[in-house]
Amino acid sequence: MTEQTQATATSTHGSAAASLRLPRWRPTSIVWFLVALILALTFFFPVYFMVTSSFKGENEIFAAPIHWLPQDFQGLGDYIKAFDQVPLARFFFNSALMATIDVIVTVIFSAMAGYGFAKFHFRGRRFLFFCVLATITVPFQILIVPLYVQVYNYGWADTYAGLIIPGIMNAFGVFMMRQFCYALPDELLDAARIDGAGELRIFWRIVLPLLAPASASLAVIIFLFSWNNFLWPLIVVRSQQLQTIPVGIAGFAEPHNGQPQWAVAMAVSTVATLPVALLFIFFQRYFVQGLTMSGMKG
Amino acid sequence: MYFVLPTVIFFAIFFLYPILSGIYYSLTKFTLLKPPVFIGFQNFVALLHDRLFLTSIRVTLGYVVGSTFPVWVLSLFAAVVFFQKFRGREFLKILFFAPVLPSLVVVATVWVVLVNPNGILTSVIRPFTGQAEINWLNNPTLSPITMIIIHDWTIVPFYMLIWLAGLSGVPEDLRDAARVDGANPFQTFLRIELPLLRPTGVFVACISMINAFQAFTLQYTISPGRGGPVDVNTTMGLLIWKYGFQYYRMGDAAAVSVVLFAMIMIVTAIQLAFSRGDQYSLQ
Repeated sequence: MTEQTQATATSTHGSAAASLRLPRWRPTSIVWFLVALILALTFFFPVYFMVTSSFKGENEIFAAPIHWLPQDFQGLGDYIKAFDQVPLARFFFNSALMATIDVIVTVIFSAMAGYGFAKFHFRGRRFLFFCVLATITVPFQILIVPLYVQVYNYGWADTYAGLIIPGIMNAFGVFMMRQFCYALPDELLDAARIDGAGELRIFWRIVLPLLAPASASLAVIIFLFSWNNFLWPLIVVRSQQLQTIPVGIAGFAEPHNGQPQWAVAMAVSTVATLPVALLFIFFQRYFVQGLTMSGMKG
Repeated sequence: MYFVLPTVIFFAIFFLYPILSGIYYSLTKFTLLKPPVFIGFQNFVALLHDRLFLTSIRVTLGYVVGSTFPVWVLSLFAAVVFFQKFRGREFLKILFFAPVLPSLVVVATVWVVLVNPNGILTSVIRPFTGQAEINWLNNPTLSPITMIIIHDWTIVPFYMLIWLAGLSGVPEDLRDAARVDGANPFQTFLRIELPLLRPTGVFVACISMINAFQAFTLQYTISPGRGGPVDVNTTMGLLIWKYGFQYYRMGDAAAVSVVLFAMIMIVTAIQLAFSRGDQYSLQ
């Protein structure tokens, strides 16, 4: 990576070298800055509103003009109410369980399959890969009815198994890992074989560590999708103690809900977003790479 | 061979089998309590006379057309802005990107407050409308537009990322050459960057349409009465849920799924046709 960047930097010497320095405040860059500022603030505002409102008193949520900071500061009061009203800790645990299992299984099996498709020749390889890949184009909406019937017949309706197992693998992961596996040097694998290492050992000790950056990108986006998944958990789980966060808190969003408690709803929303936000802050690079490659949200 | 086996088996059980059984269920009368009874194409014939289904097709197509176009323009614009060099760019980009993170349920919860009849959105545009109260969710004309605003808010920063990746793939020397030849930044964008962004454009256009076809969560959580008022927010995705999991008419739900699948397949086919050999193509 570094070598590449340097190579491009020298090949387009003059301008690239200049652009590596921080630009001074020229008129055009001030205009760009202002446009970017407006865009950023417009898009960030609802998030800002959510977080600040989670510390507000109920009566100042709709205050006009808006209270930019809580005036009737509640401390963690709204959060305490939130945990009192719904089993938020339980929802949190369920979401964390589902997301963790999804991430681990997806990463390991995608790496295995990607490695198999990239580095081994066997009959039907192209056909099988095409079949796996084709599932990317199948929207989940199409699957919910038959998949629910299937899970229901297995006796998995309203269980962790039904919640987690059908979503445990992801064709995009296989596709992405295959791309990265092509880049692995065959000489390295052959050298290990000559040294007498078994295929599984080669995978665990050589291939998987080399795929670490790709795995990190895959892991963060699988976590994002899994944590925010709504449709499948909504359908498959009925009992409250198995609900994940998005399903468990959906009631707070309903405008015709008997006695809405918006400050509490904002606290719940903030709690629900916190893990993903932390992940984004700490693994921004992997996050961006993974999302760019996946092309999916929502 | 053995490395791909677990994945292939998994996909056979949890993708291939449900797709085939879903097609079969669409040809049956099936309520989950009793085994499915084969009835041929009766479900599809019934759908042709089903007013709710016809409404849902109109709603879905309206949503796809209405929500995607602003996404393309806005996300490309944002990408061009964040591709420029200025101080504070990375920080502002993070702020701009934040809407991608929360789940749609959280998005819905926050926006319900913002689009309250006398809430913040109303007061922001009050200088232009002069109205003190706007029924963002309960007005049948306005409600689908409100859904589109909310949906586009959470999705635009994401497509900005894709455009940004495309823009950084445009070779720097081409821009330099254009500049040397006296092109202004706008001409450079129109004549050099935009044509080279075609693969990205095809990808963004198709993926955003495919995602919009599947609209469900916002309509489920915040449209009054799940799909209202007067069904203006009953997307096909929501209808599948209604038929399948509210009325347990699995056969009808499966038939709607098959129709939605066919519609999405058309978009996918268009994408494949346009993106042969491109960076993002599936092959």
